[in-house]
Amino acid sequence: MKSETADAVLEARHLRHSYGARRVLDDLSLRVGAGEIYALLGGNGAGKSTTLNIFLGFVRPGSGSASVCGIDPSTAPDEARAALAYVPESVALYDHLSAYENIDYFLHLAGANRHRTSVIDPALDDVGLVASARGQRVGGFSKGMRQKVAIALALARNVPVLLLDEPTSGLDPRATAEFNDLLEAARKRGIATLMATHDLLSAAAVADRIGFLREGHLDEEVAANGGARFDVDALFRRYSERRESRTA
Amino acid sequence: MSGATVRIAREEWRWLARSRVALVAGVLLLLLIITATFTSVQKHEAIDEARARYQSEQIEQFYNQPDRHPHRMVHYGQYVFRPLAPLAFFDTGVDAYTGNMVFLEGHRQNSANFAEARQSSLMLRFGQLTPAFVLQTLAPLLIIFLAFRALAGERERGTLRLMLAQGISARQIVSGKLIAHAAVAGAIVLPALLALTIMSASSGASAQALLIILGYCAYLIVWTLMALVLSALVPRARDALLALVALWMVTVVLLPRGLPELVAASQTLPTRIETEVAIGRDLKAIGDSHDPDDPYFNDFKMEVLARYGVSDVQDLPVQYAGLVAMEGERLTSDLFNRYAADANAREDRQNALVRTFGLASPLIAVRQLSMTLAGTDLDNHQDFLSQVESYRYSFVQHLNRMQAEQIPAVNPGEDPRIDASNWLEVPGFAYVAPNPLAYAGGRIAQSFGILAAWLAGLACLLILAARRLERIAR
Repeated sequence: MKSETADAVLEARHLRHSYGARRVLDDLSLRVGAGEIYALLGGNGAGKSTTLNIFLGFVRPGSGSASVCGIDPSTAPDEARAALAYVPESVALYDHLSAYENIDYFLHLAGANRHRTSVIDPALDDVGLVASARGQRVGGFSKGMRQKVAIALALARNVPVLLLDEPTSGLDPRATAEFNDLLEAARKRGIATLMATHDLLSAAAVADRIGFLREGHLDEEVAANGGARFDVDALFRRYSERRESRTA
Repeated sequence: MSGATVRIAREEWRWLARSRVALVAGVLLLLLIITATFTSVQKHEAIDEARARYQSEQIEQFYNQPDRHPHRMVHYGQYVFRPLAPLAFFDTGVDAYTGNMVFLEGHRQNSANFAEARQSSLMLRFGQLTPAFVLQTLAPLLIIFLAFRALAGERERGTLRLMLAQGISARQIVSGKLIAHAAVAGAIVLPALLALTIMSASSGASAQALLIILGYCAYLIVWTLMALVLSALVPRARDALLALVALWMVTVVLLPRGLPELVAASQTLPTRIETEVAIGRDLKAIGDSHDPDDPYFNDFKMEVLARYGVSDVQDLPVQYAGLVAMEGERLTSDLFNRYAADANAREDRQNALVRTFGLASPLIAVRQLSMTLAGTDLDNHQDFLSQVESYRYSFVQHLNRMQAEQIPAVNPGEDPRIDASNWLEVPGFAYVAPNPLAYAGGRIAQSFGILAAWLAGLACLLILAARRLERIAR
């Protein structure tokens, strides 16, 4: 588990952004170090996806700056993206391709090593996708299986940053637990993970730090407390209060 | 070209290969092109062989006529057949509507001039199952069906973001898709390329064949670009398909048929009946050689008598009726030629206007190019008619001269004839097919220019669409 003072692989500094008159990010700053899992927690419209889009270089912030391994994604989006792996909420894969073929294709686009036995198979082993499913077209895969393929792709790329957008949305408890195991695998590889989610339990189970995002502003940031990690009840009360105050 | 771009193209081909609908549609179109090519070649060879046989039989019949009065031979006339251009199998153009057999006789313009079918630009509306028709009309539909989801589908599925997230640019994605679908367009042209190569090898029309292939490649890439631009601009694949089919209907069905109608309405051609009435009126105005008081032919008689230094036609060393026939033919031919030139000029104006409409529909540009290079456009037909008319005039005057020189001027008898061996001295018709590159170089360049303008315009649009793709990927 990394501390807040670890060297930041992923960093946002005073990000502000608006869509027309609607402000979605308001002075957001955060840092994620190597081997750290950061959960950005917030309701719909809190600014989670916009934050990820800024790191991906899809959105240029109105002010402030972001960096991925020291690269500013707003000026060098391709380089920034080359240093990160991204898993969207709805895992987009090619249904007519197998798990192997999907990973091989995206690895090729990323210019990464795509050797099957030394790269792809170990990544699929890490995510626990059974061998019999690897050659099958992903059109028939469940969301959990598709997510395993996407995480395997991220691991196979061997990049220092992992961005996850609502990763546990739509997963059953068993699949969520498996997913949390995947993040542990990523952590062991030293990957800095930023996870945008509204799933408090999953965040509490796996994150090193949790940032509460409200109306584009980081309200509070809490860190795991050693082996005891988080007091989930206390977190839930805080999260609920924030949601209620926002609704009011 | 980056490795990622090539890989995107390869994946697009893999998707096409695994998509049964795309595969079946592609195979069907290829079969259609092969069938159209095969049947067109067969038909071309059969027609060519039949025309050569009929021409030979007709020549034999003409030269085997018995002793006759030359004027009867003038009205016995001759049929001449236009040999098919070597590449006419590929694009029959206006041949099927203008006809290729012409009857030649004295006092009359050849039977094809002023024909009702020659309503010029309206002939551009027609289509037959030839390789050209399949490539012009049906191939764009296949390109649309294969390419409409190329970018809109990635966006809809969410894979566009994932692709961009691998660190590649939207320009690389669009380039990969373009390579994939341009290669598909090339595969569509391939059977026609093979047929044209084989058919042109022995006929010396290789340059025309090469330009035809280049033209169709450009045309199909225009459609590929159109499909990709709309696929990049429209958020949903279904909407891209609808927009492309609508575009196909407008540029392939509506404009190529509607615009020539507008041209025909603005640049009208007289009908055959109107032309014949006008010619009849002008013929009457020229004079009547049988009327002893006709001022023109009285002057002509005086001029002939003076030329030969005699005072009476009975004293002429030649038959006066033969000289009158020659003069009459000269006058009527001049008149016919003026009307033909006027009709040709109107048709040329119509066609020039239609050609500029290629800017509105690439089909018009490629169709004009294809017909010209295949030697089946209206200009080629006009050239044939011009050669035929020139021959008809010399043929008739040859016989009229025989009448003047060999039929006795005085007391020719009740049924004067000349020896059948004279017919062998009448030269036969030798058609010299014009080289489209020589007589229509400007028009060919214009069609290529229009296609190049389409390519350049759409390429710019695609570059802009690629930039927009990156922005909307969020």
